[in-house]
Amino acid sequence: MSGITRRMLMALLASSVLATAAPAFAQQDVDEIIIGGSMPLTGVFAFAGVAIEAGIRDYVKMINEEGGINGKPVRFIYEDTGHQIDQAVAIFNKLTTQHRNIHLYYGDSTGFSRTINPELERRGDIMLTSVSFASEINNPETFSNQFIAGPDYSQMVSILLEHIAKEKPGARIVFVNSDGEFGRDPIEPSTARAKELGLEVVEQIITPPGAVDVSTEVLKLRRARPDYTIFHGYILSPLPEFMTQARQLGLETKFMGTFWSMDSSIWEDVGEHADGFMGVMPYRYYYDDAADAPMLERIRQMRPQYQPTGYTQGFLTAMLMTEAAKRALDAGKELNGANLKAALNSIQDFDTGGIIGVPISISGNSIPVGRIYQYSASARRMEPVSDWISLKD
Amino acid sequence: MRIATAKQTYLADEALIRTRTQMAWCGVLAASLLAAPFVLDSYWLYLACLVLINVASATGLNILTGYTGLVSLGQAAFMSVGAYTVAWLERNTGMPFLLNLLLGGGVAAAVGMLVGIPSLRVKGLYLAIATIGASIILHFVFLNWTSVTGGARGLQVPPASLFGTQLTTYFQLYWVFMPITVVMVIGAANLFRTRIGRAFIAIRDRDISAGVLGIPLLRYKLMSFAISSFYAGVAGGMWVYFFRVVSPESLTLADSIFFLAAIIVGGMGSILGAILGAIFMTLVPEVLRYAVEAASPYVADAGSLLSPIRTIAFGALIMLFLVFEPQGLAEIVQRIRRFFHLWPFKK
Repeated sequence: MSGITRRMLMALLASSVLATAAPAFAQQDVDEIIIGGSMPLTGVFAFAGVAIEAGIRDYVKMINEEGGINGKPVRFIYEDTGHQIDQAVAIFNKLTTQHRNIHLYYGDSTGFSRTINPELERRGDIMLTSVSFASEINNPETFSNQFIAGPDYSQMVSILLEHIAKEKPGARIVFVNSDGEFGRDPIEPSTARAKELGLEVVEQIITPPGAVDVSTEVLKLRRARPDYTIFHGYILSPLPEFMTQARQLGLETKFMGTFWSMDSSIWEDVGEHADGFMGVMPYRYYYDDAADAPMLERIRQMRPQYQPTGYTQGFLTAMLMTEAAKRALDAGKELNGANLKAALNSIQDFDTGGIIGVPISISGNSIPVGRIYQYSASARRMEPVSDWISLKD
Repeated sequence: MRIATAKQTYLADEALIRTRTQMAWCGVLAASLLAAPFVLDSYWLYLACLVLINVASATGLNILTGYTGLVSLGQAAFMSVGAYTVAWLERNTGMPFLLNLLLGGGVAAAVGMLVGIPSLRVKGLYLAIATIGASIILHFVFLNWTSVTGGARGLQVPPASLFGTQLTTYFQLYWVFMPITVVMVIGAANLFRTRIGRAFIAIRDRDISAGVLGIPLLRYKLMSFAISSFYAGVAGGMWVYFFRVVSPESLTLADSIFFLAAIIVGGMGSILGAILGAIFMTLVPEVLRYAVEAASPYVADAGSLLSPIRTIAFGALIMLFLVFEPQGLAEIVQRIRRFFHLWPFKK
């Protein structure tokens, strides 16, 4: 009896799996612009992926309400990758097989951007961007059909260093990086840049991935006595632990971070210890009500609740992708990787509706612009402490 | 009901294919493998290549864990060794890619033997932890031996080349990976018709008894590690020709768990089990995508809302298999075979 039940259950399982495997027919995407996406909606990067997906979707909705791109509707199709490269590549293949006219694509990681690059070069019909700000992608020769919707990680640290050099010439700096591809990304160029700016890098601390106990590293920090401590390669942990212990030891250093550790919502839960944390942000925050930021006002109308910085990245990315498509179509060019990238590179002094506080130009693969913000625990917000800083090429 | 299959010789009794039915099914499988690239689109061809790589690696792990009883969570690290070796050879020498794959397997086998040394003293969970330790050491090497491994950014690899043609499409790569994997699987199946394979099984069943029977435990355990790691190394080499890039974050502990889960779900100590397990673990998450896709017209924002459910469903499927079919998918196949062997006399 139990054997029959077991077999029936297994048969039911197998049939339900097979039933969902209905063949996917190549769809007729008549006269529309499609943005494909391998999105990290689950897994360790889901916090960003969900926000980015919402940002892209909102911009697509907005542009469609305004009549699309030269009358062509825009569609965003995507699937979850779990932040795994093989799945991200599988989705890329699936979507590009099902929809022949995907020419714009959003990827889920540095690993994906790097892995899919040979295929992008071989196909030649797609321009890609991703969640990654990795410095290696900022190379128009090797990543010719890709771009970054902001400064790369090395440029982010350079923006911080320029601010420091202006605020305190000759300052002592410690870099704290996580031990991985993400964390190690900006170390070499940042060290060189600090030297150029007359800043002294007095210590380089590498923490193991997922490190929680940082007391040894804090002792190194105390010995180095830096004016500024720049973190990279983290979202939140172990930054609060670092800051708490350092303050208990009476260290006066200013703590700074880069894009992924700069969302104000992640610092809200930290409370008072988060007060004073600084960092670089290429976009204005959701709650910035500057007069020259009408796009943020539109976002607030669409979504009354706070949207994280990942949302803004997704929103701006969709804006830049569709702008490139529009420019290519206006020039009578076929939509392919090279033409879309050329159209993107033709963007000069472009007004993002205030998402970035200055007009932007995209000469290479990145937008080397950012601003220094500081977290105020009482206001529970990131507040600007510098003007917009544009790096020279 | 199957009749008239009595064997006259030991050789016939030990043959890989023993009945005409088996012969027919093998013919169907061979025809399917040959026809696949002509009927599959780019997406399914990509998955077919990925399945072939995973089958090769899972078969290797099955030799070690399923047949020799040595639990390893280092399979992905051994694949990485093969991948880095192949990547380095492809970038720095002009050697043919098949030779690179063999050398990748060879280097992985050498590393595997080193890692296998503790297996004489520890087994079970202790050995699993020892292999995790080895993975951590290898990860450190990949990350810090920058002149060879490219450090955190890893190595980009030019495409494999055969008779002057660069193998860049999934169609081309399939024709390389498929025969290699078939040879590896047949090799593994044949291994267990030899003295070496029987020694592995004896060690798995009771290593002390195997020792008493005169099987040198260290030699055979290290041999099992070497063969398993060779399979992983070749699979890693195929992996790097497939993805054309390898970094310390390419093949992680999660991938080792993936392969262990594959042989458990498929059926440990069964060649068919490793194949079915690798297919299951690779394809079911993809098949479940279609469930999300099917729900899209009815659920607003299905992509982001249902994706976590897809992950949960995949996990639940694995758990259900473990609970209701602990012998793995291979046992289901055996049950189906038994049904037809005895039909119509057993309901």
